[in-house]
Amino acid sequence: MKRASLRASLILIVVALVAGGVAYAGLLPSYWVFLATSVLITGVALQSLGLVAGRTGMIALCQMSFAGVGAWTVGYLNLAEAPGGLVAWILIGGLAAVPFGIAIGLPALRLRGINLAIVTLSFATAFDTILATMTYPGQTDFLQVPRPELFDSDEGYFVFALLFYVAIAVSLEFVSRSRLGASWLAVRHSERAAAAHGVSIATAKLSAFALSAFVAGISGGLLAGYLGTLVAENFSMMQSLSLYAVSVMTGAHFAEGAIIGGLLVVMFPEILRRLDWPQDIGNVLFAIGAAQALSTGETMSETFRRQFRKLLPAGAPKAAVASASELPGPIERAAGPALSIEGLTVRYGSVVALNNVSLSVAAGTVAGLIGPNGAGKSTFIDAVAGFLSSYQGSVRLGGKPLEGVPAHLRAREGVRRSWQTNRIAPELTVGGYLALAARGLSANETKAVLDWLDCPHPDTLVASVDAGTRRLLDVAGVVAARPAVVLLDEPAAGQSHEETLRLGQRIAEIPKLFGSAVLLVEHDMDLVRAVCSEVTVLDFGQVIASGPPAKVLSDRAVKKAYLGIEEESVAA
Amino acid sequence: MNALLTSAVAGLTAGGTYALLGVCAVFTYRLVAVVNFTGAAIGTAGTFVLIALFEAGFPIWPSVLAGIAAGTATGVAVGYVMTRWFGEASASTKAAVTVALLVGLIAVGLRLTGGQHPHNMPELFPGSAFRLAGVEVTIASVLTIGLAVLFTILSDLFLNRTKIGLNLRALADRPMAAELLGVRVQLLSLLVWGMTGAFTTFALMIIAPQRSPNFMTLSLLVVPALAAALIGVFRSFWWTLAGGIALGIVEGLASSIDSVSQYRSAIPFLVVLAVLLWSQREARWDEAR
Repeated sequence: MKRASLRASLILIVVALVAGGVAYAGLLPSYWVFLATSVLITGVALQSLGLVAGRTGMIALCQMSFAGVGAWTVGYLNLAEAPGGLVAWILIGGLAAVPFGIAIGLPALRLRGINLAIVTLSFATAFDTILATMTYPGQTDFLQVPRPELFDSDEGYFVFALLFYVAIAVSLEFVSRSRLGASWLAVRHSERAAAAHGVSIATAKLSAFALSAFVAGISGGLLAGYLGTLVAENFSMMQSLSLYAVSVMTGAHFAEGAIIGGLLVVMFPEILRRLDWPQDIGNVLFAIGAAQALSTGETMSETFRRQFRKLLPAGAPKAAVASASELPGPIERAAGPALSIEGLTVRYGSVVALNNVSLSVAAGTVAGLIGPNGAGKSTFIDAVAGFLSSYQGSVRLGGKPLEGVPAHLRAREGVRRSWQTNRIAPELTVGGYLALAARGLSANETKAVLDWLDCPHPDTLVASVDAGTRRLLDVAGVVAARPAVVLLDEPAAGQSHEETLRLGQRIAEIPKLFGSAVLLVEHDMDLVRAVCSEVTVLDFGQVIASGPPAKVLSDRAVKKAYLGIEEESVAA
Repeated sequence: MNALLTSAVAGLTAGGTYALLGVCAVFTYRLVAVVNFTGAAIGTAGTFVLIALFEAGFPIWPSVLAGIAAGTATGVAVGYVMTRWFGEASASTKAAVTVALLVGLIAVGLRLTGGQHPHNMPELFPGSAFRLAGVEVTIASVLTIGLAVLFTILSDLFLNRTKIGLNLRALADRPMAAELLGVRVQLLSLLVWGMTGAFTTFALMIIAPQRSPNFMTLSLLVVPALAAALIGVFRSFWWTLAGGIALGIVEGLASSIDSVSQYRSAIPFLVVLAVLLWSQREARWDEAR
């Protein structure tokens, strides 16, 4: 993972060195260098947009307003003759944009992302008029923002902008492969699944927004040094809107996507100008390009990457290989009930989904929860893991009541769940997913856990893993976190008979290897019989039997619940 | 006191327009599940057809009809893109598409109408309707508010009382399922888009003389419209109506106070922020995810 970041960063730095060298040696006409600087500055703004739009999947329409805050700050510091010079001013400008980013991100925390689109668009319009009224500092007396002496020429400023671009791109590369970056992708793909890993949705979204505002603010500061003086028009809402269209079209969360976008934004009007065509045709093309990208679900960068991968010889998918001794050691837990539920009742309107259900899972054991479809098994897991807004009854984890504790904190306390449907963000690598699910796992431990469940190598992209294996990966993530309680929601669904047998052995090993108690929700009776020491049967939201599997599964009421008729009539 | 009332009443035309645009936005959202950022731009297109015909010397009322027809056609065109290619897409993808279309519409619109070039927009309904406590209430404001109320009542009745309305609600929830039940999804959606296009165009024709009639300014009336729709939580037509009118009145009041009048276009932003923070009181999980 680290290695991949280093490799990508090295490529970027080498390309930048060549570009900077060519420009600085004066091999290019000055005008082209001037345009190329503009490409880089737009690229920085696009990277900031890629953070929110690309990674967390929110619609952000006020990126140039953030840039405006940064530029305004630089202008103000220049007017006030603040110490530190342009570099310090640009950084302060970026920081000045952060509070705006957070304030605007706040309303988007719990509601759908569309609301963010409305907030950001209205902020952009408001900012437009306010900036027009305030005028840019120094605009009236033609005060230029001075460039640092070393970078004063056009070639010099190109290198200056290039340094910022590379620094930001490299930092984002590392951040995006960190647990924080993985949490952004997870939130974008499924907020519930992210919370089930202990990710705070609020922190994930706000951090993306704050960082994005910071980077956008920097792009504004760079623009201030580039143009010297600015007008409100530089940061108009239309700029933000067209920047959004470009980022959707090219995939601004990829390093090459941001540069391609920058090229399009800068070069398109330039080409149109030389052809003597109206320059605003560019926006029409960006709109069409964005709509096209949205309809295929693939940005330009992703298309290029896919085509590029086709050229490379396809290696067979590698399996994760490690010895079992590398597995992270079990966490010692006190004996007694790990999870105890009493009188759990859940109502959806007038429908009673769960009625007075009591159940307890002893530490160090595997318990089963079975029942026909619609019996309330998944509702039970949702309630225990904290995904229901209200329920009656008590859920206690090792004696500690969980009422009022939100889902992501329950996950951190030690209640972890898997999902019936695949909710793993496909953009993650297998290793990145495990790092998100289980904090602080070493590389060897990661491989060992993956090998233990026959999952692929950590470098494999989740998108290229088949659906059945993704379900195992889901289990691997939950187990690797070594929580007090593991809730498995039909892990064997979609697995072949042999795979199920093997999975059964693995589930039976969980308490010993990882120290977690397991509650298994399953339809496969052979699996339940093989691994569970206690079984509870639900039917229409009620517990109809519980006890050792051999006894429960031969219970007449249980057979009726499953077959729908009395056993005698089957025989007859 | 009277000065305040004058400025409040001055905001009524704008308020009625916001309300109508807002109700159209809610209507579109509830029936075809699209948060439409192009709403005002569609109406603007129709309005500029009127301006072009009027400037070319055509008589006014036929030009108005042609403008409304053009607005309807633009609405249907946007609707066609949305239903043809994005019928099954997620709500946020659909919203993103309308944002992209807004960029395109504004660019084309500015090009065709000569950018910031000032236009001669005829005032369709000049004069005052009646006096309220010594303050003139213009025909334009009575008309926009009347139209907004009419559309609200119609939408309410249509959605809750007619079979076709119920069909369309089914469609917004599950286009595929509705199609399987024999609902003519495509046709009905286009009907919704055309209808909101026509109403929006007419409302914008009334308010255009009060604003600087350039394509972008008018297209951006979508911001107060969506703010009004948020006040109605994209559900209630009546709350949206009230929200839109209130927004107009507050803007009118703000423009009479010198220290804040320059910043009055920030009002929708503050309203949106307040409404969203308020509606976040209860945490809930997004059903779809």
